[in-house]
Amino acid sequence: MSLKLDPRTKLYMIFVVSAVVMMSATTPFLWAVRIIMIPIFLLIMEKHYAAAFRFLIFYGTALLLTFKFLSENSEGFLSAFLVGYCGIIVQFMPAMITAWYVVRTTKIGEFVCAMQKMHIPDGITISLAVVMRFFPTIKEEYTAIRDAMKMRGIMLGGGNAAGMIEYRLIPLLFSCVNIGDELSAAAVTRGLGGKVKRTSVQELKMKAADYLLMLLFTAVLVVFVVSKYIR
Amino acid sequence: MMQTIAQINNVTHRYKGAAENSLDGVSLTIKKGETLLLCGASGSGKTSVIRLLNGLIPHYYHGDMTGDVTVNGLDIVETQLYELAGVVGTVFQNPRSQFFSVDTDGEIVFGPENIGLAPKEINARKEIITKQMNLDSLLGRSLFELSGGEKQRIACASEAALLPEIILLDEPSSNLDMEAIKMLHEIICDWKRQGKTIIISEHRLWYLNDIADRVVYMDNGRIAHEWNAKDFTMLSDDETRQLGLHPTSINERYLALLSDKDDTGKCYIDIADGILLKDFYFSYHHKPYILRKNKFSAADGDSLSLCIPKLMLPKGKVTAVIGSNGTGKSTFLRCICGLEKDCTGVIVSKGKEYRKRQRIGFSYMVMQDVNHQLFTDSVEKELLLSMKVKDVKRCHEILDTLGLLEFKDTHPMALSGGQKQRVAIASAIAAGAKLLLFDEPTSGLDFAHMEKVGELLRQLADSGSTVLVSTHDPEFIEQCCDYTLRIKKGRLFSFEERNS
Repeated sequence: MSLKLDPRTKLYMIFVVSAVVMMSATTPFLWAVRIIMIPIFLLIMEKHYAAAFRFLIFYGTALLLTFKFLSENSEGFLSAFLVGYCGIIVQFMPAMITAWYVVRTTKIGEFVCAMQKMHIPDGITISLAVVMRFFPTIKEEYTAIRDAMKMRGIMLGGGNAAGMIEYRLIPLLFSCVNIGDELSAAAVTRGLGGKVKRTSVQELKMKAADYLLMLLFTAVLVVFVVSKYIR
Repeated sequence: MMQTIAQINNVTHRYKGAAENSLDGVSLTIKKGETLLLCGASGSGKTSVIRLLNGLIPHYYHGDMTGDVTVNGLDIVETQLYELAGVVGTVFQNPRSQFFSVDTDGEIVFGPENIGLAPKEINARKEIITKQMNLDSLLGRSLFELSGGEKQRIACASEAALLPEIILLDEPSSNLDMEAIKMLHEIICDWKRQGKTIIISEHRLWYLNDIADRVVYMDNGRIAHEWNAKDFTMLSDDETRQLGLHPTSINERYLALLSDKDDTGKCYIDIADGILLKDFYFSYHHKPYILRKNKFSAADGDSLSLCIPKLMLPKGKVTAVIGSNGTGKSTFLRCICGLEKDCTGVIVSKGKEYRKRQRIGFSYMVMQDVNHQLFTDSVEKELLLSMKVKDVKRCHEILDTLGLLEFKDTHPMALSGGQKQRVAIASAIAAGAKLLLFDEPTSGLDFAHMEKVGELLRQLADSGSTVLVSTHDPEFIEQCCDYTLRIKKGRLFSFEERNS
């Protein structure tokens, strides 16, 4: 069974999760809340099993290391390294997983429609939509550039440390600027940016699952705020 | 008397920052329902005419412009771009950069959504278009996984969904193979039957023979010639060559060369002094593994996307790699030059074996989009980057043979497309590669540039390099290739010497 969530719910999820990861958790109870809200189960619902599994292992390992093997008394380089590393993962991974889930499961059409329903100005909506559209393009271009570097034998910068970044970024910027330019030319000839109110064939409706999740996430937010700032 | 639908009146235009005029006193009248073919060399102003008609000039590409343009009764200068959306539709050269969505459905409805049609109406249109253009199998898919031909069909569909009176196509066949061009031909014929006005800018002319009503030849921003369809197809190959155009028809022989044959030809030529490719097996799907990756081998049979047990390439010759899109030509080239790590193939030359990463040093691929291959801020540095031992003198020699010496301090990105390609070739030579691979170097080139690439490949082969080039252009094979290597579904199909 696949669960189709409304993009508005997804955006709300991102908002709550980002807010929560920025408030550092202090008690085991809060940890538990944070782990429950990891949207891994959503990924499973959407049949992204491999991704769900990978995230689970990754996050689980970091969590295990943090609680079992690291404490304030840990010493040595490895522990220092691990504290930093696991700390970051444990702290911010939930937000990353949520974002990954949202980007992977939301069609651009749905997203644009949701933004319109929330009365966000078209300028903002379209820019965000273009950003989403651009991720796969950047990936394609980047792969091609990496291949070219491999062939030239300059993966490590060709004896020039700055080269490692320079040789990747400069061609990437050039081609992205070009593609972006052609892309917007093509979009305006098809009527983007007109004065007419844009319509959408997507039909969005909040379902029971959406309300349920929103409720759950609101509850999480409340628990965090109350236990951290009020109690 | 047919009605005039678009009129360009004495337009002169110069892009912002450009030294020369892109259009120089162009006047053109287009009748309703006619199909007009624009031809001419790259940079002759074809694309600028297209941009005039869809309003991108002057609204998107700024510059100095005089004269006036009227399309369907609208004065282009006074009309906003979005008002033209339902009037003029444009299919661009590169489908990759004209898609706004990431999925096919979203792309088709994108235009109608923009002009604010009711969702019901949009869905109805989508259904009609899907039926008309046979798109059922393409719906609901990611645009990034489609082949070039399929992308172009979606691009056409997304324009058609706006029901424009005038359809402009800017070099639509550049990235297409034979089958896809036939499909495109069908689409254009359909539009013609529906009475649309069609303007096509194109280098490949043969597939438009029965479509175009009128042909306009552009040179240096001017309209230099005009033919009706009949006179144009009568032009001999010599006449078109003088104009720098591709032939207006391709012989049966050519067609046989490129269309999918089913009979297997000879696959192995025994040459004493050749480059032997052994055990090239590869698949994009990994075999399941726990600790060590399983190597691909002939035993994997049908699951392989490339399966070439043994192939002898003649040294110092140009070999054309042919076959339709998505049949493994690029995979083959990528495997040879070692970009696909999981491919275990071995290259043997002069008794020496090149495996894995050594293949990268021995061979070098010039990619279809050369922009990806240029990394530095001057042509000279670009070559020096490729050399293990930095030798400025040798670098200048190479540049000189390729006619690039005068550009040695220029930024590679400031060069023209052909010059960039030559810089990429120069760095391949500088890297000391013996086997040069070209991935469709002629797609989207006009005839003159194509001939130049052909000469260059000949020159490389004559100086001892072995050249392998994948292409869809029969004229190009005719001009410069000694052998043809046909690949189908990743298997060698035939390997023949071209008897000239």
